[in-house]
Amino acid sequence: MTTQPTATDMTGSETSSGQTSAERTVARGGVAAAPLLAVDDLVKHFEIRGGLMGISKLGAVRAVDGVSFTVTEGETLGLVGESGCGKTTLGKVILRLIPPTSGSVTFEGKPLFELNSRELKAARRDIQVVFQDPYASLNPRMSVGEIVGEGLYVHGMTNKREREAAVRDLLKRVGLNQQHIHRYPHEFSGGQRQRIGIARALALRPKFIVCDEPVSALDVSVQSQVLNLLSDLQDEFQLTYLFIAHNLAVVRHLSSRVGVMYLGKLAELAEADDLYENPRHPYTKALLSAIPIPDPTVRRERIVLKGDLPSPANPPSGCRFHTRCPMAQEICKVEEPPLRDIGGGHLSACHFAEDVTPLKERRAS
Amino acid sequence: MADRTYDDVTQLPVDDTEDIDRTEVRSYWQLARRRFVRHRLAVIGAITLAVLIIAAAVVPLVVENATGVDINKSFAAAEIVDEEGNLVLALLGYSRTGINMFTQLMAATATSLMIGFAAVLIIVFIGVVIGAVAGYAGGWVDNLLMRVVDIALSMPGLFIIIAFVAFWGASIWTIILAIGITGWTTAARLVRAEFLSLREADYVQAARALGASPRRIILRHMLPPALAPIIVAASLGVADSVVLEAALSFLGFGIGAEQASLGTLLNVAFEYLNREPYLVLFPSIVLILIVLAANFLGDGMRDALDPRQRVEQQ
Amino acid sequence: MTTVSRSVGPLLEIQGLKTHFFTQDGTVRAVDGVSFQIGHAKTLGVVGESGCGKSITSLSVMRLIERPGKIVEGSIKLNGEDLLDKSDEEMRDIRGDQVSMIFQEPMTSLNPVFTCGEQISEAVQQHTAASRREGMDRAVEMLSLVGIPDAKRRAREYPHQLSGGMRQRVMIAMALSTDPDLLIADEPTTALDVTIQAQILELMRDLREKNRMAIMLITHDLGVVAEMVDEVVVMYAGKVVERGDVRTIFGNPHHPYTQGLLHSIPRLDERVDRLEVIKGTVPSPYNLPTGCLFKRRCPFRMPICDVAPPMRQIGEEHTSRCWLTPAGEAPEVGADPTPEEAEAAGEQLTVEPR
Repeated sequence: MTTQPTATDMTGSETSSGQTSAERTVARGGVAAAPLLAVDDLVKHFEIRGGLMGISKLGAVRAVDGVSFTVTEGETLGLVGESGCGKTTLGKVILRLIPPTSGSVTFEGKPLFELNSRELKAARRDIQVVFQDPYASLNPRMSVGEIVGEGLYVHGMTNKREREAAVRDLLKRVGLNQQHIHRYPHEFSGGQRQRIGIARALALRPKFIVCDEPVSALDVSVQSQVLNLLSDLQDEFQLTYLFIAHNLAVVRHLSSRVGVMYLGKLAELAEADDLYENPRHPYTKALLSAIPIPDPTVRRERIVLKGDLPSPANPPSGCRFHTRCPMAQEICKVEEPPLRDIGGGHLSACHFAEDVTPLKERRAS
Repeated sequence: MADRTYDDVTQLPVDDTEDIDRTEVRSYWQLARRRFVRHRLAVIGAITLAVLIIAAAVVPLVVENATGVDINKSFAAAEIVDEEGNLVLALLGYSRTGINMFTQLMAATATSLMIGFAAVLIIVFIGVVIGAVAGYAGGWVDNLLMRVVDIALSMPGLFIIIAFVAFWGASIWTIILAIGITGWTTAARLVRAEFLSLREADYVQAARALGASPRRIILRHMLPPALAPIIVAASLGVADSVVLEAALSFLGFGIGAEQASLGTLLNVAFEYLNREPYLVLFPSIVLILIVLAANFLGDGMRDALDPRQRVEQQ
Repeated sequence: MTTVSRSVGPLLEIQGLKTHFFTQDGTVRAVDGVSFQIGHAKTLGVVGESGCGKSITSLSVMRLIERPGKIVEGSIKLNGEDLLDKSDEEMRDIRGDQVSMIFQEPMTSLNPVFTCGEQISEAVQQHTAASRREGMDRAVEMLSLVGIPDAKRRAREYPHQLSGGMRQRVMIAMALSTDPDLLIADEPTTALDVTIQAQILELMRDLREKNRMAIMLITHDLGVVAEMVDEVVVMYAGKVVERGDVRTIFGNPHHPYTQGLLHSIPRLDERVDRLEVIKGTVPSPYNLPTGCLFKRRCPFRMPICDVAPPMRQIGEEHTSRCWLTPAGEAPEVGADPTPEEAEAAGEQLTVEPR
């Protein structure tokens, strides 16, 4: 798998060559069940265009640059990373809100990128989304009933009474007062709006929901309410989540497995507990160490990364993290480390994954 | 800590409805109306425009021979009913040549407003269609259409209108068409900008994720918010078009005396500036009233339709 | 330069501060009787959720409250002098000299048309007799102090050419260029990524030692508070609800709101099946409950909560605005509040909620 970096290497296609997603799933600790969702070597480059007609290509932002993973039915896969790492773009590509550059996403065996518009509309019933900003994600000109019922209407429930009954039921399930069905978004608090957004996503009884930073815009005391709601709904409706967030504590709370992204690539992917207790990538370790602990008596080893995030339009050669990595060696500058299994389904894209030590922590008296 | 801990009591069902229940339900448009009504100048503008429109529409209908000449009435005083009991509404009296100045003014106002509104209709239609297509499609379609806009903008508007009128003759319809097809660029740019940003809005993305058709997304989610700046631009556009037409007619490229507009009246009035200076007065006042009223109205709409405006609680 | 041990009293002492906003829809008591002190070279954390009045408190200290807001009552003493008695001109000299402030979004507080160096130099020249040259030298010195590599070159760059973390460093450099006694930091790292946040927090800790400067840190992030501050003030709906040493607040919180906040955040080091929640939402400022402001959401609600509780002593240097006994038990039924408490409560009751 390790070759000299080439042009194809940069688009990341090398990392998955010769392996189908199914084979990889088996390689990953033998999860026998077919995955609900399989992302295979997904690439999304935003072209920077210029010139008179805006046709000449000046370059590309490599937002997502060769990402592969699977999500098993009923689990929550957390996806963390800092701004600009491509996690939100990844979510939107999976939702087919923006077209991919290359790669494939398979949902229940269906290749999502090859569906025609009728098949896609049918698939959309199963794949839904909850957005970050509860203010931007609801149309201010529509009532709660119209917002939550839109999916039902679009998919053929045109009887108004029937739809209203369904919406009332949904409002109840997300903890909102059913009498608020005729109210408008501006009359609700951030937490309540987020519940409306969740009700909208639930309306079509989806199997899979992409949660894109669903609590990061909310106040602390409301965050926990929404997180609990999400996990209650998961049990109630057997939902599978792709949970995208920058807050590692929130991700850990909800996720069974967690992937860490850096500059458009997966740096590490493992069971949540394993990842947090035994990070096997220096970036994950630095990320974990940077989170302040809400306990003044605990002091944890702190790794302060040097410098800023490089531009995704011009990522560093070799390992993308080498410019900030405290463990970087010569090889890291030239050779891109593949995402490899270092045991027990723990994947890490580091040449020295085995040498990464757990974080030290001590409790002051 | 006492025997009762936080853990025991936090698993209660969430009911965070205490704050919201006391307010009455108000939709976006209801709130917009409230904000508009609070804008006093805008309300005055709206009333002024309404009065002008009604007067301009009704007066020429109820008065017989509203724009005709009756030489016997030269310099006659103001009257509402003439000697024979006919309704004449000569509120401003008669001119030297015996023209009923009030009814003539109203007829001219009707022409001007008609041109203003009709031209804006064309402007909005072309602007919305081109802007919406460019903004929704993005990419090369957007680029192509925006270059078309650039070209349209780079051409001297007044010159084109004059050429248009010279070629097709100066009827009210040519003027409307001429103003309309030279004036749509700003509207197109407005709509395009609005659509481009709305395309990325979370609620539009959410609608796409639900499987809503492009038609539904445009009509339900993108056009209504894009309409706000359009309405504002349109009300200002009415003023612009009225003034543009007046300028054309004043320069002599406009409509002839048979369907006089405010500009035509001014054109004629300037010929008699020495002998009858008051002729200039009334068309000018009406013109200024229209422009001010439309501008105030536009201002008020901008404030009323802006969702960023604070929402009143009580 | 101004830190000659001036007095034994606290550096900043806020007493009964009330900052209200007079809107069309009624009066918003954004800050309603807030009192606390910050000692020399101490770091105080002010925590609370959006709308609790923490930012308005800090803007009040800077006297940056604009209409329809107004400081209606109280005193803000800096080194024993009441800032509310100062003229606007005197205030301009104090701002950026004795007290500096950094904000959440550095881009909006930096002027896009001047280079970073010019802006720092400007601040220095305004408060000292420095020339343009000296100001520029100081700017470069400050930029390298806050860990900006190649400071000379960066001083000639414009804010938009820098990353978010770099901009926040420039803000800090500007705030510290005049050696203030007090730095007010309003959510200084909220807009930044965690790894960048770690850099900025380390920088602030570092500079605090070097400059013997006091910090008033306003944040909603309890992790940042635990890591940075000596003392904590918890605010809720315009009032201070609990105050104490950082270890006391985190180890033995008294007020149910503080307890709720601490319990409801997901932790990296502990995995729980279900998070505890504070039910409900922060009350609307136009519709505050009578008595205790937290009672609608409080799991310990008692009949006495209809009377607004005063700040009560819980332990040494630990106060809480709650009727629960210091041990956290419900007060005995029928037990009358002490005379001082009744008086304090009476005063509270005259405040009519809308």
